[in-house]
Amino acid sequence: MSGLRRLLARRLLLGAAQTAAVVLLVFALTEALPGDAAVALAGDRPDPARIAAIRASMGLDRPAVERLADWAAGLAHGGLGTSLASGRPVSTYISDGFGPTLLLAALTLALLVPLGVGLGVLAARHAGRWADRLVSSVTLGLYAVPEFACGVLLSTVFAIRLGWLPPTAVGYGADLAAHPAVLVLPVLVLLARPVCTLARLVRAGMIDALASPYVAQARRYGIGGARIRYAHALPAAVTPAAQQLARTVDWLLSGVIVVEALFVIPGLGTVLINAVAERDLPVVQGLAVVFGVLTVVLNTGADLVARRLAPRAEVAA
Amino acid sequence: MNTECVAEIDGLRVEAGGRAIVDGVRLRVRPGTVTALVGASGSGKTTTGLALLGEYPAGARVTGRVRAPEGLVGYVPQHPGAVLNPVRRVGALLWDIARTQVRHLPRRERRQAARKRILHTLTEAQLPDGDALLRRFPHQLSGGQQQRVVLAQALLLGARVVVADEPTTGQDALTKRHVVERFAALRRAGIAVVLLSHDLDVVRELADDVLVLRAGRVVESGPAARLWSAPRHPWTAALLAAHGAAEPAGPDGGAGRAVLRTGPFTARHGRTAVLRAPALTLRTGDSLAVVGRSGSGKTTLARCLAGLHRDHDGTLQLDGTPLPRSLRARGRGQLAAVQYVFQDARAAFDEHRPVLDQVARTAVRLRGLDRGAALAEAVATLADLGLGEDLVRRPPDRLSGGELQRAALARALLARPRVLICDEITSGLDTVTRRGLLDTLTALRRERDELCLVLITHDLDTAALASRIVVLDGGEAVEEGATRDVLKHPQHPFTAALLGTTAEPAATSGRG
Repeated sequence: MSGLRRLLARRLLLGAAQTAAVVLLVFALTEALPGDAAVALAGDRPDPARIAAIRASMGLDRPAVERLADWAAGLAHGGLGTSLASGRPVSTYISDGFGPTLLLAALTLALLVPLGVGLGVLAARHAGRWADRLVSSVTLGLYAVPEFACGVLLSTVFAIRLGWLPPTAVGYGADLAAHPAVLVLPVLVLLARPVCTLARLVRAGMIDALASPYVAQARRYGIGGARIRYAHALPAAVTPAAQQLARTVDWLLSGVIVVEALFVIPGLGTVLINAVAERDLPVVQGLAVVFGVLTVVLNTGADLVARRLAPRAEVAA
Repeated sequence: MNTECVAEIDGLRVEAGGRAIVDGVRLRVRPGTVTALVGASGSGKTTTGLALLGEYPAGARVTGRVRAPEGLVGYVPQHPGAVLNPVRRVGALLWDIARTQVRHLPRRERRQAARKRILHTLTEAQLPDGDALLRRFPHQLSGGQQQRVVLAQALLLGARVVVADEPTTGQDALTKRHVVERFAALRRAGIAVVLLSHDLDVVRELADDVLVLRAGRVVESGPAARLWSAPRHPWTAALLAAHGAAEPAGPDGGAGRAVLRTGPFTARHGRTAVLRAPALTLRTGDSLAVVGRSGSGKTTLARCLAGLHRDHDGTLQLDGTPLPRSLRARGRGQLAAVQYVFQDARAAFDEHRPVLDQVARTAVRLRGLDRGAALAEAVATLADLGLGEDLVRRPPDRLSGGELQRAALARALLARPRVLICDEITSGLDTVTRRGLLDTLTALRRERDELCLVLITHDLDTAALASRIVVLDGGEAVEEGATRDVLKHPQHPFTAALLGTTAEPAATSGRG
């Protein structure tokens, strides 16, 4: 399949260029912010002489282009540089933050796919009847609630009023897997909107597929209802859902800032917020590289899945 | 006789939207025979056929008796590709059917047994290389292969009755012969075939019994031979007369002034050359038929002339002045001079505006008439083509396929074209409607001697209207000449095969 290989090569090359563009943009934007790491470090005593001294010791007095070039040269040797704030390698920030984020994302995804697809199929199967109306109106209503509102609401009710679950991950360290109770509320908040999108996409696709001539033919020839739904109709219905799923996974892995901040989870989102607050440019750039690569890889993967699911489209570029 | 019927319908009445689509139909289907339901579009053929499968239009009121072997009726629709799941490999449904048949076996042996059954059935359906075929997707199959796969589904099911809906409509003569072969094989296997068709050639070759339907009622039924030799009902007689009574070949032409001239050219899609066209000259009063199988490059040739396909290296001349290759580069007068009527008339109209407005628009856009004058001319032209004013004030979905095709013709004529290109405008119409449209074209050719007709067709009755014929095969012009000569004394074996006078050439036997 040289066509497939060519497609992959083209997509990855394009992705590398896109990632580079993202890094440049992030660099430019962070430069444009007032203040820098030196100001942040000087903290409560913003004595200009002291700031200048810190700036000189960090090399921040050099021109921006030179600093970017240095960082890029480091990248070429496989290093993401060192933090301005702590002097630790940026890679340790990322590996520390990646654990909790990955855990949350994996849990959310494991629940999201069966739930979203199941609800979508259920609604499509009873299209127009009460089960469909219930699923459709609940998903629409839930989708309208933003993460922060949903998070605050859930934690007020279940953590503060009822006291069933811990309100934040403070005090549980980085090993969240050992304390599943901590994860319940964040995962619920992360699930809420993606489930709605996925269910609605699957429902729309399934309604079309169930009305198609090929499903009618399978029915005619005595194939069982479940087999028709999951083996004949669903494959045709999930193409748009697969692409949407890639976007959701990307969103989850980039550390959902609102949720991590709300529940104080030490994931990538928290690392990013802190790095921006401290104007810790190397860390911000390192994260931009990681997020860029993740986005490219996930979307390329989704396109490959879509290519398999819609073999006629021969998805290009 | 009743005892040997595998399926029967008695007094079937299907009512939808307050109108009876089928009324009082009685049908007996015997094993090992072909029962044909013939009639114009909308006569109730498909509704009757689907009743054997227990399927009715949504919200229909059904009375009468239908007896058919439950779960053992196969269905081959007009477009077999539609019942193959585009995202699953072609074997998907075959596997599911076979799986239900091997449940009695121990779990380990099931897969192998199912596979054996499927491959055996595919061979029966004339698909020898089953293993490779099962791994392909529907769009990687030819139309003929798709039809055979759908037939294989019915065979694997063990169907005792197979309902085939218009299996040959829109196919060229060679493909038709393959289809006829396929259904003859079913009959030999003892399966009852119910053939829904308005293609009388095929009905005549295959059918043992024929039912003639009109507006939902059976007007005549009986053994095919009797029906053909002595039709009892005037409608049957009309249907049979409309078929085959081809016009004598048109005048030779060639004497008038050259209207459109092209040099020999090669047209490409991307990097592939799809057509090598010969030099063509169209003179006033001339008409040219471009004949060939599907995929032979007929439409590409027409699109090159019309400026719809510009990826070619030829030069076009209209009245001695160069005509730009692309539609975008042509002026108003040049656009008006070359008009195109498409195969799918329904798709060529905006469904929300009255037909009349859309027809009149041509004269406003291309000839600069004001709206009133354009409407008046449109009404007159449409009336000439047999479409009354109250009819054309309706939106397109209230007109039949044949009526819309006339309206499309009128729309093109309102540009006062010098060259009128008709792309398969008679395919997909039933015989009576087709005959009517052909008569219209004949009259046009006679009355408007400034007009050059280009007829793109695979139907030789239609081609017979033209004064000259070009035969295309695989993107090459294999024969060109006066219609009379080409139809009577074909020089190229492919033309002969298309005419059905000799066995088909071996080169094309793998297709279809």
